[in-house]
Amino acid sequence: MKVAKRMEGDIAVITLSGKLMGGPDTDSIRDIIRECLEGDSKKILMDLGDVSWVNSTGLGILIASHVTVTNAGGMLKLCRVAKRINQIFMVTKLHTVFETFEAEEEALASYTA
Amino acid sequence: MDPRPPNQICVTIPSNMEWLSVVDKVVEGIVEPMELSEDEINALAISVVEAGTNAIQHGNNHDETLPVEFCFQVDEDVITIAVRDRGTGFDVEKVLSADPTEPENILAPRGRGIFIMRSLMDDVSFRMVEGEGCWAILTKARRAAAEAQG
Repeated sequence: MKVAKRMEGDIAVITLSGKLMGGPDTDSIRDIIRECLEGDSKKILMDLGDVSWVNSTGLGILIASHVTVTNAGGMLKLCRVAKRINQIFMVTKLHTVFETFEAEEEALASYTA
Repeated sequence: MDPRPPNQICVTIPSNMEWLSVVDKVVEGIVEPMELSEDEINALAISVVEAGTNAIQHGNNHDETLPVEFCFQVDEDVITIAVRDRGTGFDVEKVLSADPTEPENILAPRGRGIFIMRSLMDDVSFRMVEGEGCWAILTKARRAAAEAQG
């Protein structure tokens, strides 16, 4: 799993690529979320377009990120979620937790809507 | 199902999540000649990866010296996957009693693996065999075969 961050205005875009399945992924994602919040970037968009699959441990990482950001008064949204991952969101009803967008532009615009 | 049927494809991996991508590719290869929808293929792949995740995490406790075995059997009307770890099993009833989609559980970071498998497969059962480990047996009817039978 690769994790990268860039800023789009006041929105931190975290791009994940590879397989999201726990282990070292947990630390790298937690660290980058913390870095965003400590740097006063409370609007966070996670781009999952290059995440080929996720297991239940990876879901746990996404949920923990959501809780951390929400508790800090921020907003975590997701974009470009693969169909396979969306299928898991539907089964687990996590689509009711995560706000997701098909395109990054649409997601970025939603923070100011 | 006998966990070790004669006409099967078996793959054994060390207890390391990285190897689940190999198993994912095996699923892809096995289902390729079948007339399955993308949702059905995803359901199988997701469930097999979840069974492997459980086996590595809870069964073998991430001990890479312990194997996780996947056996695939494709019959005319059903696909069966048996996943074995070397653990001592778990309290199935206790796990099944917690619904991760309930509001009080929806933000819990764990506890979805078996729920996902049971939601996407037609049947999921567990068999603990002393000295052998724990088998998860996943079955899914083949839609095309079921439809042909009316």
